[in-house]
Amino acid sequence: MRIWRTGLTRLLQVFPVLLVVVVLNFTLIHLAPGDISGLLAGESADPAYLAGVRAQYGLDQPYIVQLWRYIATVASGDLGLSFRTHQPVLWEVLQRTPATLLLVGTALTCSIVVGTTIGAWIARKPGGWLDQIISLVSISLFSIPVFWLGLMLILIFAVWNRWLPTSGMQTPGGPREGLAMVTDVLRHLVLPALTLAAAWVGQYVRLSRSAVQAVLAESYITTVRAIGFPERRVLLHYALRNALLPVITVFGLQLGLVLAGATLTETLFSWPGLGRLIYDAILARDTPVIMGAFVMMSFSVALASFATDIAYAALDPRVRF
Amino acid sequence: MRSTGFVAACLCAALALPARAAEPVTLILPQLDEPRTLSPDFAPDSGAYPPASNIYSTLFTLDWGLLKGTTAYGDLAESWDIAPDGLTITFHMRPNVKWHDGAPVTSADVAFTYERIIRKKYPFEPFLRNVASIETPDAMTVVLKLKTADVSTIPMMAQASQWWGKIYPKHLWESQEGFDTGPQVKAPIGSGPFSFVRWDTGGVEVAANPDYFRGKPRLDRVIFKHVSDGNVARAEFDAGEYPYLPSEYAPPLAEVKPLQADKQVKVVFTPSHYSRALYLNFAYAPYASLKVRTAVAMAMDRDAINRLAFAGLWKPAMHGNVDTQSNWINTEASFPTFDRAGAEKLLDEAGFPRKEGGWRFATTVIGQPLADCLAMLPVMVQQLRAVGINATTRLLDQSTYFQMMFSGNWETSCYATRFGPDPDAFREHFATTGSRNFMHYSNAEVDDLARRAVLTLDPAARRPMYQKIQELVVRDVAFINLFNEQKTTLERPGWTGFPTDESGFNQSITWYGLFGVHPPGT
Repeated sequence: MRIWRTGLTRLLQVFPVLLVVVVLNFTLIHLAPGDISGLLAGESADPAYLAGVRAQYGLDQPYIVQLWRYIATVASGDLGLSFRTHQPVLWEVLQRTPATLLLVGTALTCSIVVGTTIGAWIARKPGGWLDQIISLVSISLFSIPVFWLGLMLILIFAVWNRWLPTSGMQTPGGPREGLAMVTDVLRHLVLPALTLAAAWVGQYVRLSRSAVQAVLAESYITTVRAIGFPERRVLLHYALRNALLPVITVFGLQLGLVLAGATLTETLFSWPGLGRLIYDAILARDTPVIMGAFVMMSFSVALASFATDIAYAALDPRVRF
Repeated sequence: MRSTGFVAACLCAALALPARAAEPVTLILPQLDEPRTLSPDFAPDSGAYPPASNIYSTLFTLDWGLLKGTTAYGDLAESWDIAPDGLTITFHMRPNVKWHDGAPVTSADVAFTYERIIRKKYPFEPFLRNVASIETPDAMTVVLKLKTADVSTIPMMAQASQWWGKIYPKHLWESQEGFDTGPQVKAPIGSGPFSFVRWDTGGVEVAANPDYFRGKPRLDRVIFKHVSDGNVARAEFDAGEYPYLPSEYAPPLAEVKPLQADKQVKVVFTPSHYSRALYLNFAYAPYASLKVRTAVAMAMDRDAINRLAFAGLWKPAMHGNVDTQSNWINTEASFPTFDRAGAEKLLDEAGFPRKEGGWRFATTVIGQPLADCLAMLPVMVQQLRAVGINATTRLLDQSTYFQMMFSGNWETSCYATRFGPDPDAFREHFATTGSRNFMHYSNAEVDDLARRAVLTLDPAARRPMYQKIQELVVRDVAFINLFNEQKTTLERPGWTGFPTDESGFNQSITWYGLFGVHPPGT
C-alpha cells in the first residue's frame, strides 16, 4: 500500500516539474536569436509572405500570449501540431520512439551486463595485469568520441569488409516482413549499438570494479570467507548484490534519458530515432516538437527515478518505503 | 541430331539474353535531409523535394539546362502563348496524361492546385501573386490572367517549381482541408515519371511509371535513402553503394585532384546562376562612402581566396553578374582588381586613416552555414585586416542570419546572390524597394530601368537596360561580386543523365529529376 502511495506522490510531483520545464524551455527558445518564420516560409519568401506566416502560426503575438496558449494546449492533453509537418507532436514522438528504444535499450542493457560482470571480475585481483589492461581499455572506450568510433567501425565492418550495413535501420528495398526483416534490422543495429555501448561499458566497468572492490574489503565478506563459502558465491551473492546500488543509480539516470535518444550516434548512422527528431526540430525551430519531446523526457526521467527506487528496495533490505 | 541440339542451345541463349538485359535497375540515391511529408506544396521540406519531384509533375519547369539558356520548358503544359500585352498566358496541356491511379490529368487539376496555393498562402503563393484569375476554357487549356505584365513570371515560376507548385490530383485532394491532411500527404499519387511504392525507415521507394507521357524511365526503381552524415555517404559511395553522390555531400575541394585521377570516379562541376559576394551595409557609416566600398573591393584578392578556400577550382567573378548569364552579363563593367596599396590610399582619402593599433574602423563579417562562405570568410577577414579594417567573423545559423539581414542589423556579409533564371533578379537585389536589397542601396536610375525592363517583352530591348543596371551597380559598388558558384558531384563512369551532368540538361525535369538517368549499357 505504501509503495502505491509513494508512487502516486512521485507522479504528482511530475506536474510542477513539467510546468517549470515547459516555461523554462519555451522562454529559452523564445530568447534564442533568429526568426522562425524565415525557416517556415523558405528561402525565397518575401517580407509580405513572412508576415503572413508569422500571423498563421501566432508568432506575431507577444511572448506571454504564446506561452499561455502553449500551456493551455498542453494542459488539455495535447502537445500541439508540428510547425513543419502539421502532424500531432505526440504522433511524431511516438513514431520515433520504437527505434530509439531499440537502439538505446540494446546498448544500455548490453553495457550494464557486460560492464558490471567484467568490473566485478577484475575487482577480485586489483592491480593485476588483467585489471590494468581492462582498466586502460575501459578508460579508452569511455574517452573515445562517439563520432570517431562510429566512423571507424563503419570503415572496418561495412566498407572494407562488407559484413554489416553502413547506415539506416533497414536495407533500402529489403525485406519488410517476417524473420528476414527482423534479421535485417538486427544487422543494422549492430554497429550503432556497439558504438553507443562502448562508452557506457567503460563507465560500468569502472563503476562496478570500484564498488565491488570496496565491498570486498568489508568485514562481513571476511566473515563469509572464514565460514568457507566458495569464492564464486562470495562474489556474486554477497559482494556484487551490495555493490550494485551505485550501478543501479547510474543505470536509472541513463534509463531516464533513453527517450532523449542518442543524437550523435543516430545522426552518424542515420538511425530514425528521437535524438534525430529533437536535433532536426531544434535546427528548424519547430517549437511544438522541441517542447513535446522535453515534456516526454521529463515524464520518462520521473518514471525511471521511481523505478530506480523500487530496484533499491529489492536489492537492499534496509531500504523501505 | 547434334546440330538440332546446337540450334536449340543457341535459341535458348538468345531467349535468355533479353531476359538478362531486362533485369530491373534500381538506383539508390542518398539525401541529406529526411522528408517530413511527401506533400511539398504546403511547406518548405528539403527532404521531400527529391522524391516528390519525381512523383509529381508541374505545369512547366526548368533544370540545369538553364545554364545553356533554357529558362523554362513544358511539363504538363506542351506549350504556352503570351498575349502581346503580356497580361494573358495560355497554356496548352499535353493530351492523354494520366495520374498514377489512371484518372486523366486536366486543366481542372492545375486550377484547383494553384487556387488552393493562393487561398492558403502556401510557399508558391508569392509566384502567383500577380495572377488575377485562372480560367479553364476546356479540359486541356489553362489561362492565367495577370494583374500586370511581368516578363519574369514564367522563369520564376519554373524555378520555384523545383520545390513547390507541383500539380495535385483534384479528385483526391478536394475533400481535404489543405495539402497537409489526408492519406496523400505520405502516400502521394502524382503524374510524374515514377510512382510511389512505400516510405519507411529504409527510405522512400518509387517505381518507374510505364504510362509516363514522355515514356517509361530507364530506371525501374529509385530508393531515396536518408544519410544524415556526409562522411558516411562518402564512405558508402566509395564502397560502390551509389553511382551518384549529390552536391550536398560534395567532397572537400582539396580532395578533387586525387579523385580526378581515379578512373572509377567522375568529378562533375556544375556552375549555377548564383554567385558568392561580399555585401556591405550602406547604413553602416563607413560603407556610406563610395571610396570605402571601392577600397574594400580593391582589398579582395580573389586568387588568394580561390587558392586557400577552393583549391583553385572556383572561377572568380569580376563583373556584376555570373558567367552563366551569358545573354545578360555586361563584361565591360568590372569591379576593381586587387590593389592593397590603392585600397589603403582610398581609405585614407575617405577619412579613415590608421589610428592607434593600426586600425581604421572595425566591422563584423557575418556568414550563413554555406560551406563555401565558411571557407571564404577567414581569408576575406584577413584581407580586410591587411588594409587596416579590424574585421572579425560571426557565423550564424540560417534563421538568425536572415533575421539580421532583413532587420538591417549587420555590417558586412558573405552572401549568395541570384542572377537568374530571369535578370529581373536585379530588381530584387538592387532596386530601392527590392525584397533582397539588404545593402540599402538606392539609385533612382536603377529603379527606373528595373521597373521598365520587367515590362519589356522583347529580349533585345531588355538587354541594354540590364547592361546599364550592371554598369551602375558596379560603379556604385552596390555589392562586391567574388566568385561564380559551382556545385561538385561525383558519378560512376557509365552512368549518364544525372541532373547536374550536361547529359541530363533539359530532360531531368527539375533539379532533382531522374527521368534522364541512363544506367550503364542503356
